[in-house]
Amino acid sequence: MSNKKASVWTSIPFWRRSAAWVTGVASVLLIWLTFDSISQINMGTESDLKNGIDKRVPAATVINYKIGYAMDAKRGHEVPTIGEKQLFFGKEWNEEDAKNLLHLGKLTSQSKNCMNCHTLLGNGAYYAPDLTKAWLDPAWKDGGPMQGMTGKNSVEEAISEFLQHPSQYPTHARMMPDLKITKEESMGLVAFLKHMSSIDTNGFPRNFSKTDEQFKRGGSNAH
Amino acid sequence: MLFESMTDVVPSFFAWLNQGPLTLTIFLHTVIILPMFWIYASEKKKLNKEKGLD
Repeated sequence: MSNKKASVWTSIPFWRRSAAWVTGVASVLLIWLTFDSISQINMGTESDLKNGIDKRVPAATVINYKIGYAMDAKRGHEVPTIGEKQLFFGKEWNEEDAKNLLHLGKLTSQSKNCMNCHTLLGNGAYYAPDLTKAWLDPAWKDGGPMQGMTGKNSVEEAISEFLQHPSQYPTHARMMPDLKITKEESMGLVAFLKHMSSIDTNGFPRNFSKTDEQFKRGGSNAH
Repeated sequence: MLFESMTDVVPSFFAWLNQGPLTLTIFLHTVIILPMFWIYASEKKKLNKEKGLD
């Protein structure tokens, strides 16, 4: 018996040390990853926007800029682009007002439970269209069917009008119910949607029609 | 390509780690699996030593 080699596989200390090692390394990596994610999803500032510094989540004042969506060959998907200045509801919003408007929009989206039917940044349902990039939807742009239907002449006015009286505008096989959204709330929601469309989501949602041409050829807006 | 240049918005260690499945696999094997060979060897050495004393 004494000549027989010792078996490590039946040794309790071996399993204890292995388990401690795996758990320890995984914990360190996950804690590190958590703080890394927190720093990456921090909102940018007004000066980042002015200096063209890319942040995943731009400042609230991004609502004063034109948002585009362009293919990034290197990354292999579309990324939001922040272009020249663009009036939002006919004016330029200062930092505080933009923040408050965005906050009102966020609270409204929660109180009206948009996620019960829609998807926002990957959270929610697919009963109704994905709203992550809804601001960029060609249907809301000049000449698009949604803007034409509301009789307004800007994307924000058209979406705002639709949100206040959704049951007046037949859009989808499943129509949006009238949620009694006020004018202020609808403006907040539009700001919330515009800001959300400017967030770099690594190309999510993947099946979103990027251009008006693609949309006219029968593309999808992740509906 | 196993290693690509950084394409993430904010370059970080985890962005590098997520470039492809192999980078993650090689990294996790290096920090978790390889040291476990050392744990095995050291436990074996300790057990053999105890056996020798018996």
